[in-house]
Amino acid sequence: MIWVAIAGSALATYLTRSLPFAVRFRGRLPPAATRYLEALPVAIIAALVGPAVIAPAGALTHGAEPLAAALVIATVAWRRSLLAGVIVGVVSVALLRLI
Amino acid sequence: MLGTTLLVGTTFGVVARQSGLDPLEIIAMSLFVFAGASQFAMVQLFSQSAPTPIVIASVLFINLRHLLMATSLSPRLRRLPLERRLFAAFFLTDESFAMATGHFRRGGRSLAYYFTFAIALFVLWNLATMIGIFVGGAIGDPRRFGVDFAITATFIGIVVLAIRHRADIVIAIVAALVAGALALAGASTIAVITAGAIAPLIAVFVRR
Repeated sequence: MIWVAIAGSALATYLTRSLPFAVRFRGRLPPAATRYLEALPVAIIAALVGPAVIAPAGALTHGAEPLAAALVIATVAWRRSLLAGVIVGVVSVALLRLI
Repeated sequence: MLGTTLLVGTTFGVVARQSGLDPLEIIAMSLFVFAGASQFAMVQLFSQSAPTPIVIASVLFINLRHLLMATSLSPRLRRLPLERRLFAAFFLTDESFAMATGHFRRGGRSLAYYFTFAIALFVLWNLATMIGIFVGGAIGDPRRFGVDFAITATFIGIVVLAIRHRADIVIAIVAALVAGALALAGASTIAVITAGAIAPLIAVFVRR
């Protein structure tokens, strides 16, 4: 099933990349549609974060994940570095889970 | 940008390996899907045993933005034959788009610039993935060291760096809370795609 998902995802991704190159669109998208599409990636990725922070392993968090998430946000906002955020997140969640 | 690709690609290899995916599956993802955020999302969804259609639909949604980028680049590639355009499309990413747009805005015309940079990113991304697989296989139990949180931290970082307007912050928070609430309520298979599709409606109604 994982291979089917990989093949399907590869195809879906390629379609979004190639369609405008293969087909000529006439006219433009309405601005509301453009705004929706531009906001989609942030929303989907944030939606992936929600369950992992609020309900890791399917049950309400004991607090380690939201605290670590806040530290990651602060780190990335300050350093503008993904790697710094990941390191702070991993270390802080490991320490917080010990408490 | 090349350095970032190397680091994020290595991180991807590590977390994918830690989540229990097979090295071949991970390599195939980087070779054929070749989309950072989507690949991380796939790892997360696989680890929750999400149904295949949900995985594919989530990836499709994350990548719908490519439609916008390709549409904006397509006048530049109009003179190329169809097969070259379809070849160029495969390497279209946030990074190669940003680079190409910058090049054209500065008055550049050469498409070789796009191809060179975009293909270099592809090669680097795949090399980094393999390094990550190697490192990830050597770390051991992920939960003990908090490595399972690496993917979540990566997503948080991607979101923070992608925020351009105040509305984006509201959208991200709404999406995360709705998805979290749905997951708590037991609807974890549809949580991400539902929250991810609803939250951008805020952008439709809010003026920037």
